[in-house]
Amino acid sequence: MNKSVISVKNVTKAVGGRQLLVDVSFEIAEQSLVSLIGPNGAGKSTMVKIILGLDQQYDGSVTIRKGELVQYIPQLVMDDQYQLPMSVYEYMSIATNRLYSTNKKQVDFEQALSHVGVAGEKLHQSYTSLSGGERQRVAIARALLGDPTILVLDEPLAAVDYASRSGLYKLIRHLQQDHKMTVLLVSHDIDSVLPLSDQVLCLNQSLHTDCHPSQFTAERSQYNQTIHHHC
Amino acid sequence: MAILAGVLGPFVVQSRQSIASDMFAHVALAGIGAALLVGVSPWWGALPALIIVSTMIWRLLDSGTYSPDALAMFFLSGGLAAALAFVHLARDTVFSFENYLFGSILTLTSTDVMAIVLATIAVVGVVWYVWYPLLGATQSPRYLIPFRRTPKIVQLLFFWLLAIVVWVGIKTIGGLLIGALLVIPVLTARNWASSFKQLVVLTTVVSVLSVSLGLFAALYVDLPPSSLIIGMTILAFVLQASVAAAISKRSSG
Repeated sequence: MNKSVISVKNVTKAVGGRQLLVDVSFEIAEQSLVSLIGPNGAGKSTMVKIILGLDQQYDGSVTIRKGELVQYIPQLVMDDQYQLPMSVYEYMSIATNRLYSTNKKQVDFEQALSHVGVAGEKLHQSYTSLSGGERQRVAIARALLGDPTILVLDEPLAAVDYASRSGLYKLIRHLQQDHKMTVLLVSHDIDSVLPLSDQVLCLNQSLHTDCHPSQFTAERSQYNQTIHHHC
Repeated sequence: MAILAGVLGPFVVQSRQSIASDMFAHVALAGIGAALLVGVSPWWGALPALIIVSTMIWRLLDSGTYSPDALAMFFLSGGLAAALAFVHLARDTVFSFENYLFGSILTLTSTDVMAIVLATIAVVGVVWYVWYPLLGATQSPRYLIPFRRTPKIVQLLFFWLLAIVVWVGIKTIGGLLIGALLVIPVLTARNWASSFKQLVVLTTVVSVLSVSLGLFAALYVDLPPSSLIIGMTILAFVLQASVAAAISKRSSG
C-alpha cells in the first residue's frame, strides 16, 4: 500500500445553518488516480477548496504530506463570448512570475505543451480559437509549470468532445504513471471519470462510498438515485 | 489621456468593470465638492477622494456581500448627492460642475499638463511592470489558477490605476465621457487582435487617433471637443464593424 499524500479526517463544514460537509474522512495514496464524484451541491467544491487551503473555516483536519505541491486546474467553460483576445503564451504567463526571463519562459512553455501533446507553434496563437480538448491540455500544461506532485482537475472532461476524451484519458494516465503524480479528478459525471479511476469517493455532504471502481457497480444505482433526487 | 485610456481600457472591459469608470467619476465630483468646501484646488481634491473610495469599493467587492452593480449605483448616486451637498455648503456661485462633467481640455494649465504627463508615465509604467498579474486579476476566475496567494493586491492596484485615469479624465474628456473613451476603442479593436498585447496596442492607436481627430475637428466645428472625440470613437467602431461584416460576407459567400 502506497503512503498517503492527502489525509482528510472528520471534516465538517456548515454555512448559515446549512451542512455542506458532514464528518468526511478519506485518504489518497501517492501516485493514485482518484475520482471525487457527487451531484451538484454535494460539497465537492467545498472539499476541494479545503484541500487547496483556500477555505480554512471547518472542523476536522486535512493533511497534505510535507513536500507535496498541489496544483488545481479549474473547469473550462467554452461559451464565453465576451472573453477578449488572449494568446496561449499570455494564458500560460498568468501563472508565472514577473522575473521569469522571456527566453526561459519560451523554452519552458514549449516543453510543458509538448508534455501534454500540444504543438509548440500553438504558443502564439489565440487561446480562444482552441478546441475544448486543446484548452484542457493547455490548462494542464500551465499547471505543470509549477512542478506539482498532486494535480486536482475540476470536471476535466466537461468541455471536451467524445472524440478527444480518449486522448485526455491517456494524458492523465501518463502524468500519473510516468510523471509519478497523484491525480484527483472532481466530477458530477461518473461515466467520464470512472474508466480512469483507481479509487472512487462518492460524496453527498457525507462520504457515501470509498471503493475501487470494480466495487462501485453495486453502489451505482444508489448514486444514480441521488443524482435524480437532486436534479 | 488617449494613451491612458488605450492602455487601461482593455483591462477595464476584461474585468467587466466598464461601469466603474462612471462610478469613480461621480465619486470624483464628491471630492471636488469637498475640496471647494475646505478651499483647496477642486481637481486636486478629487484625487484623495478617488483613492480612498476605490479602496473602499475594492474591500466591499472582496467581501462578496454586495453585487458589483448594486455597489456601482450606491457610489454613483451617493457621490453625486455628496457633491451637490458640498457645493451648496461651499456657497461658490462661480464654480460650475460642467467643466468636470464634460471636460475642459482647452483650459488646461501647464501645471495640469505636467501632472497629467507624470500620471501617464506612472500608470503605463505600473501596468508594464505588473502586466501578467494584472491580466490574471482582471480575467474571469475560471481562467485563473486559484493561487494560494490570491491576486487581491493586484486587484486593488487595478482600482487605483483606474482612479488615476478617471482623475485625469475629469479634467480632460469629462467625468461623464471618460467611460466611452475607455470602452469604445476596445470594442473597436477586439475583432482585429489575437493576443491581449495586440489588443492594447490597437486600442491605444484607435484612442489616440480618435482624440487627435476630435481635437482637430474642434478647430473647424463649433462643438465641444469631448463630444467630437467620442464621436470619432463611435465612427471608428462603425467603420470597423462594417469592414468586418463585409469580410465575413465575402468569406462565407
